[in-house]
Amino acid sequence: MSQPNGSAEAPIEVSAIPTVVGINFGNSYASIAVLTKEGTAECIANEDGERQIACAIAFQGEELYIGNQAKHQLVKNSQNTITGFRNLLGKKFSEIPANALSVSAPVIQHPEIADEPAYKVKVLQASPSPLPTTASNTPAASKTATPRSEPVQVDRVLTVSEVTTIFLKSLIKSAEDFLGKKVQGAVITVPGWFEQAQKDALEKAANDADITVLQLLEEAGAAAVTTTSGPVPEGLSADRTQLVVDLGASALSLYLLSIRQGLAFSLATLSDHSIGGDAIDDKLIKHFAKEFTKKTKVPLTVCPASDPQDKRAEAKLRLALEHTKRTISASPGAATCSVESLKDGFDFTGTITRLRFDMEVRPIYDSVYKKVGELVSAAGLDLYDVDEIVYVGGSASLPGLDEALSQGFPENIVTPFTQGTVVGGGVGDPTTILARGCALQAKILAQLGEGTEEEREVKASFTHGHQYTQSKATSKTIGLLFPEEGAENALGGQWIPVLLRETPVPARRIVAFNVDLGEGEEKKVGFEVWEAKEGVKIEKVKLPKLEGEEEEEEEEEEEEEVKEKTVEKETLLTSLSFAAQHATKKGGRWTTRLEVTAIVGEDGALEVSAVEVGASGRGEKNVVTVPAA
Amino acid sequence: MANIVELSVVPPPLPQGWTPPAASGKSISPLVERKLLPAGQAYLAHVRRAVHKLTFEEHDKHTEEEQKRLAALNGAGSSAEDDLGVGEEEEPEELLTQDPKEWKKQDHYAVLGLSHLRYKATPEQIKIAHRKKVLKHHPDKKAGQVGDSNDDGFFKCIQKAFEVLSNPERRRQFDSVDPFYELFETDVPTQSQVTKHRNPEKYFFESFGPVFEREARFSKKQPVPLLGAIDDPKEKVEAFYDFWYNFDSWRSFEYLDKEVNEGSDNRDDKRYTEKKNKSERARRKKEDTARLRGIVDTALAVDPRIKRIRQEEKEAREAKKRSKGVNGNSLDAKQQAEEEKRKAEEEAKKKEEEEKIARAEAKKAKAAAANAAKKARRQARAADGGEA
Repeated sequence: MSQPNGSAEAPIEVSAIPTVVGINFGNSYASIAVLTKEGTAECIANEDGERQIACAIAFQGEELYIGNQAKHQLVKNSQNTITGFRNLLGKKFSEIPANALSVSAPVIQHPEIADEPAYKVKVLQASPSPLPTTASNTPAASKTATPRSEPVQVDRVLTVSEVTTIFLKSLIKSAEDFLGKKVQGAVITVPGWFEQAQKDALEKAANDADITVLQLLEEAGAAAVTTTSGPVPEGLSADRTQLVVDLGASALSLYLLSIRQGLAFSLATLSDHSIGGDAIDDKLIKHFAKEFTKKTKVPLTVCPASDPQDKRAEAKLRLALEHTKRTISASPGAATCSVESLKDGFDFTGTITRLRFDMEVRPIYDSVYKKVGELVSAAGLDLYDVDEIVYVGGSASLPGLDEALSQGFPENIVTPFTQGTVVGGGVGDPTTILARGCALQAKILAQLGEGTEEEREVKASFTHGHQYTQSKATSKTIGLLFPEEGAENALGGQWIPVLLRETPVPARRIVAFNVDLGEGEEKKVGFEVWEAKEGVKIEKVKLPKLEGEEEEEEEEEEEEEVKEKTVEKETLLTSLSFAAQHATKKGGRWTTRLEVTAIVGEDGALEVSAVEVGASGRGEKNVVTVPAA
Repeated sequence: MANIVELSVVPPPLPQGWTPPAASGKSISPLVERKLLPAGQAYLAHVRRAVHKLTFEEHDKHTEEEQKRLAALNGAGSSAEDDLGVGEEEEPEELLTQDPKEWKKQDHYAVLGLSHLRYKATPEQIKIAHRKKVLKHHPDKKAGQVGDSNDDGFFKCIQKAFEVLSNPERRRQFDSVDPFYELFETDVPTQSQVTKHRNPEKYFFESFGPVFEREARFSKKQPVPLLGAIDDPKEKVEAFYDFWYNFDSWRSFEYLDKEVNEGSDNRDDKRYTEKKNKSERARRKKEDTARLRGIVDTALAVDPRIKRIRQEEKEAREAKKRSKGVNGNSLDAKQQAEEEKRKAEEEAKKKEEEEKIARAEAKKAKAAAANAAKKARRQARAADGGEA
């Protein structure tokens, strides 16, 4: 019965989870996500315990610092610290504005390669160690080794691509240390506004770092993957319009996505490099500097600082603020900001409440709100057409932003804050959402086969700008209208939208519901199929006359500020009617269960079929078709 | 799979006199060009449909197969190893709350979740079932849960059950008196029940079939000939009764022994209990043999096949007689008939004798039991006397 110790067989490890990672590579911060045993994605911390890894590398003497440690070098060693390099990828030196970042190592023209931006840093190069003595050599005079000579200081010129390679390599190293296995591939985010040259440069840098790039995924795509995988959140449907607010450290990017059962495309995008976490920092630094001056009578002028002392103080404050912002995001109480020896040997400790914080940062929130308005109207929609807001980026974790934004949206808008998924590693955590989306995407890609021609084609379709990304979408909502006697609404019956506008074709939607058949013995089921006009604003149709009219309506609507979603029937397409076979009587009324399938083909042909689903089985299929134009 | 959206709306009944309007002949509004984000499962599905030129139904089927394949791939790994058909069984409240001290009375198979296999369970299956139960009911697992101190009671029951069932000898002893089959043992049809039944032939096979199947497990010789069907040939029927009259059973009754009082050091006490147990075992064994014999007797008496075989023999005899009368070749036939008659008679006599022996045996068993009882009484008296 009993076995000797150690005779048990080792568990056979057959894991279907590929070792792939998702990397969110922002301009200021990066994050890494891996797949868990359950197949979900999880953001991991690097060896410093940091989930938000600063995109910075610093050289000091012989040492190389990467990440948040490098960021701290900005205080004393700013000339040898490189930050903000992602946005320079793939750019020519002449394209970079001259007044670019000054807090870190300056961008210079590469001495050898024409029109190539580079960084020049001072490093200590270890001098070669003395030659080892061999048998043929004369024996050394003493047993003690000859000491190495002092390292020499040299200038090292690094291209942007090299810097990126060093940084990405360290990210992959962290992931491999965490997983204990070699990383097979990675999906890396790119901002929507990246040009092809920039993407190529990023891919090259990643390849130089020995990373197999499975895909360069647009940030909006990564956000969509995270939000569409897993169950549909409460209060939302699988067909929804999503607003992605990406408030990073250095830029604001907004995407309006149409998500149709997981299939996403962007209706409009917008990015603004003047709004971002750094702007929030500037406001707060000014606030705290003022407080410091008030407390200690030491003058401190920041943003912009001219005196090197002030500059250093500003850098110190900026580093300390990171903590303050996180505290404000995480807890409803006050947050402190403390810096030792801020200036002239005076320490500084200040507190800020959330109310005060929001007051200081209000102009930023307002400009974000303004941009959101611009974006939505650029797509020809209204704020009321947005069903869900998704926040991305560290600064978007601020609850004040959500409060400021949701004023303009309908009350039932779904945000990570209303869902409570921001903190505690929830789905909607803005700081990790992109990395997790990338990891999930990497999982999909890693599981694709490459055996047949068709499988290779499927795989190729994930590359940027592939023909399969071009798709047609419906322009009007198609739905079912069940006529009703004495209906209260203008439609004259019960309206069930089936295929929403902006649904990529071919598309299929199946809806199931119970139908009341009344008391009579007739038991007739019937409905009309209509194309409807939703809200006050409809997708921009490429007809100049109509557009003009609609825009006028838009303006009126906005002035009146009467916001309600409306549905008007526009075109009758067809109708369907049959006698119910599987109806059941409940409380004297007949009801039956109907399953209606609507399929729009690639050519625009519509097929509507209805099947009765009874306890005894499925009824006959009743089909009507509407041919393509 | 198709993604079906459940709606909570209930459309009202159609208005009186509503007729479906004719199709307008219009198509849906012109489609617009969009650029999809190449991300997510849905995009993959979209591309797959386009590349492989699949309709939605075909794609549904594909995804289902794919999922099955993936599930099988994962299943082959750690999560779902083959449990050899042990499966899961429900655990009723009374099973979980039984007293581990009363382990002699517990149904070990039910405790391990093997009540669907019982004596058929292989040692491997018992091992797997035990592991499963331990994983589920280990006291360490219950550490965080609320519960009383008797929480590990069922775990003790599991350990006891495994202790009994994993030892072949002890398992045999338990199988001999498996409480599950005790109910059936009394439920054997009587002679009158069969003869008075509307369809005695059918009833015979329906009622005796399971009885013999049940008893077959006690046979040392395997396989055991089972009751069979109505049109079995004579040889088979005879072989059947032959086997069952010479049934060699491994059934024994040690499991029902009275425990020797551990506390007492009295040798006599111990010996007395042991002796008593031994005689009890023998009595039970004898009773069991008689019981089985009784069953076989009843079966033989009402077996429609025996009747049929006799009838056939008789007919064959008569046919021969008749043919002899016609052909004049009577002597041979007559001799044969006579021989057959003699044989039949002999057989009948033999059977009678056998029955007689059986009866005698039963009587003897009874007498022995009575004797044993008497002896026990005497001994008890003697022991009482000795103590006094």
